[in-house]
Amino acid sequence: MSTYQEFIQQNEDRDGVRFSWNLWPSSRLEATRLVVPVSCLFTPLKERPDLPPVQYEPVLCSRANCKAVLNPLCQVDFRAKIWACNFCFQRNPFPPSYAGISEANQPAELMPQFSTIEYIVQRGTPAPLIFLYVVDTCLEEEDLQALKESLQMSLSLLPPNALVGLITFGRMVQVHELSCEGIAKSYVFRGTKDLSAKQIQEMLGLSKPMASGQQAFCRYDHVPHVHPALENDPLFLQPVHRVDMNLTDLLGELQRDPWPVPQGKRPLRSTGVALSVAVGLLEGTFPNTGARVMLFIGGPPTQGPGMVVGDELKTPIRSWHDIQKDNARHLKKATKYYEALANRSAVNGHSIDIYACALDQTGLLEMKCLSNLTGGHIVMGDSFNTSLFKQTFQRVFSKDYNGDFRMAFGGVLEVKTSRELKVCGAIGPCVSLNAKGSSVSENEMGVGGTSQWKVCSLNPSTTLGLYFEVVNQHNAPVPQGGRGAVQFVTQYQHSNTQRRIRVTTIARNWADAQSQIQHIESSFDQEAAAVLMARLGVFRAESEEGPDVLRWLDRQLIRLCQKFGQFNKDDPTSFKLSESLSLYPQFMFHMRRSPFLQVFNNSPDESSYYRHHFVRQDLTQSLIMIQPILYSYSFYGPPEPVLLDSSSILPDRILLMDTFFQLVIFHGETIAQWRKAGYQEMAEYENFKQLLQAPLDDAQEILQTRFPMPRYVDTEHGGSQARFLLSKVNPSQTHNNLYAWGQETGAPILTDDVSLQVFMDHLKKLAVSSSA
Amino acid sequence: GQEKDKYIAPSAERGWNDPPQFSYNLQNARGQQKGHLTRRAAPPTSSAPPTIPLSSNPLAPPPCSLAPPPRLQGKKQNCFMMKCCHGNNRSDGFLTAGPPTTTTPPVQPGSQEEEGGGDQTQCEPDVEVVLSSLNRALATCRQSVKDQVCNDVEKRLLLLDDSWRAGKLSLPVRRRMEALSLELRAGHWDSANEIHRSLMVDHVTEVSQWMVGVKRLIAETRNLNPELLEQLQDTSVTDQDSDLLQG
Repeated sequence: MSTYQEFIQQNEDRDGVRFSWNLWPSSRLEATRLVVPVSCLFTPLKERPDLPPVQYEPVLCSRANCKAVLNPLCQVDFRAKIWACNFCFQRNPFPPSYAGISEANQPAELMPQFSTIEYIVQRGTPAPLIFLYVVDTCLEEEDLQALKESLQMSLSLLPPNALVGLITFGRMVQVHELSCEGIAKSYVFRGTKDLSAKQIQEMLGLSKPMASGQQAFCRYDHVPHVHPALENDPLFLQPVHRVDMNLTDLLGELQRDPWPVPQGKRPLRSTGVALSVAVGLLEGTFPNTGARVMLFIGGPPTQGPGMVVGDELKTPIRSWHDIQKDNARHLKKATKYYEALANRSAVNGHSIDIYACALDQTGLLEMKCLSNLTGGHIVMGDSFNTSLFKQTFQRVFSKDYNGDFRMAFGGVLEVKTSRELKVCGAIGPCVSLNAKGSSVSENEMGVGGTSQWKVCSLNPSTTLGLYFEVVNQHNAPVPQGGRGAVQFVTQYQHSNTQRRIRVTTIARNWADAQSQIQHIESSFDQEAAAVLMARLGVFRAESEEGPDVLRWLDRQLIRLCQKFGQFNKDDPTSFKLSESLSLYPQFMFHMRRSPFLQVFNNSPDESSYYRHHFVRQDLTQSLIMIQPILYSYSFYGPPEPVLLDSSSILPDRILLMDTFFQLVIFHGETIAQWRKAGYQEMAEYENFKQLLQAPLDDAQEILQTRFPMPRYVDTEHGGSQARFLLSKVNPSQTHNNLYAWGQETGAPILTDDVSLQVFMDHLKKLAVSSSA
Repeated sequence: GQEKDKYIAPSAERGWNDPPQFSYNLQNARGQQKGHLTRRAAPPTSSAPPTIPLSSNPLAPPPCSLAPPPRLQGKKQNCFMMKCCHGNNRSDGFLTAGPPTTTTPPVQPGSQEEEGGGDQTQCEPDVEVVLSSLNRALATCRQSVKDQVCNDVEKRLLLLDDSWRAGKLSLPVRRRMEALSLELRAGHWDSANEIHRSLMVDHVTEVSQWMVGVKRLIAETRNLNPELLEQLQDTSVTDQDSDLLQG
């Protein structure tokens, strides 16, 4: 291993882990002085085409409060057939099936290349995948039509044995029975009345066993193994292959909500009750089985429990301003209502997606917890009749290299640590399982106080931030050469219905922060650290005032620079950061400006949406969100990454900017004029045509893999949409300093925002100040 | 005759800043490509303003009369490669904005084949052929599958028949339906199913009303017991236009 960069990349590829520090400070005191906590981004189901799962159960440590999984770090006595747990040092005999092991004949889980290994567990009845569509019918005709077609299309993408259900709502909530006979029944609920789970289940007849007459005949004649829950229930959740024809018709015949909407009013939309019925239905039929509620909404909830805004159009939906002035009437009550639903759903392992397509806000701020706590998706678009929605929705059902859905359910992540470490918390689409134990720190970061989290739905890119604490005391240092270890055990339901357990065991060396500080510094993963600190910031922003969060982030940055910068006291010009930290301040600069921390120009729904995605994506995508990527295309060389800076905006360049949520292609002034003049049509300027095409092709590559689909902006110098680019670049040239540099290239940005240069100058001043 | 369609024409009015729509096949082809548009430029080391790359166009910012873009230099045209992602050839062959040289315009091969329109040599799919193989499969299914299911399927095949004859189906849909019927006849269930999926994804508006019947027909046919299946295959092979299987 020659460099840390290679080491870091290899570890991410193999284990889906990126640690902020790859050498760990050997005492609590030293760890606090490093400012950035020992922490990691962990992608539990990172795609590993080269890792076939093994068909047996993991071997566990026999100590009741340990139960760590046998792994390559364990000491093994092959003759005595005994292994020592590397977490609690318990000596365990191998199970009888391991009688044949020897130095030369080792099981996979002992080999170093299997630091990540996946087990297929043959326990319990395999559960079908469950999809419950909850559909708002208060939509414009065109929107409803597009949505109906997308839903019909999705039936072709689902596996034939998946169970599917349909709830529609407007002023009333309708739960549809899906039969394969011609007659379709539905149960109707008033949209204003809050019902308990028990009431809902009684009203749907879920508690009393049904006489299995004709219905049963219709349902089960071709199903070899009927899930027990199907036996007694009405036909709300049915295998796709049995009901697809009738469901296609049912969807095709869906009408807009028939209740008249008077002038000046919003339609009455009973989203709260509809969700309560959906959650109650799944709770009563498939508790502790993976299921997906897919909520499609075209506007905010306007009546009943969970209402976000009244039906009077003259009262607009709450803004940040209203919230700051404590003038958002329904905010607290609605949020509380949806949080309760989200928690019930999470307990049962059911996840909730929200597909919100409308020009105005739809109440994502109040409803975000439904997806954030259950691992569901949030997708936000202007209309269901856009390729943004249609393709994003298709990608929910995308498949991996094995032809299996990139979707897993009912995940439980457990973190085990060696004695010198404790886990402080997790930030990601998860809830706490309140598992106390010796590896749980009292110091909470994110969702803490537990060593286990539930992730109801996850995909190969779902990534959690995990924060640790070194508990070793300063006067009792870890022996030289010692290593600390962390084990991640993820149990989940694979989309092919198997139960699986993935185990990742990693170790890092302890280092004495006094004598080896340079080694620790070079082990710093600034990209991981930036994302991990940003997640902490976003987590705080959910409960604290924006300026406080910024101050906290600034303070951390200054402290880090004080710790690792090289400088002469009170001499800012002498300040230098080593290579392993060189990009970090820049990441923080862009993070401060990002929509994850700045609410200016964003609605509360948009902020919720951006944050939702930020705390679940993997490192690469998260970093794109923090500091967008900018490529420049010109006649002077191959496309190249350029500074995210106004100086990169040049007349004879085309720029491609990726912010994760938007892809912007910006044609510089000259390029735009050439294009307008039509040079690309002339044969002798074929190269210009190619230049125009190049960023389009690269953009396509990004579009093909991104989830959700980003907005796609094709603009040019002076175009109104150029603001997408102008608001992201570092304003190194503004109307204030344009002529100061004596150059007239680049594009001045009309802003009073602080530029990176000014930010860095301040940072250096503060870092070197003896009074700071 | 696989269509080379990359994009599906988006709905008449695209949403604001709507991304282009990819076809089902293009969606699924992903993964082979590996984009590397994730690099960042190194930050400047000093706090001085970033050095600005000199525009080689000495007239920048452009004066009133617009200078043309640099012209193509004939010899280099083939190794000209602009894209980041596939850039093995990117180190050489870049054009500089030198003085314009006269050059014969290169003959461009037709680069963008329109869906359906690209392959003119292929003959128009025959509604009779397509429906006869679907109906034959349905007839075989009737011997073991419930009446009600078969009637439902039949209803939808009639809808397909009507739409086709009324000219409501676009060429790509008709082409793919022909391919689907051939795969069904050959017993290639997975690929028939795949074509069904591609039609649902790419052309849902046209096909959603009846496609589910075709989907069910594929599913029921593949579940037939071996004797019935053999019976179906026999009639297929002895069929008059069995040569289509090879075509």
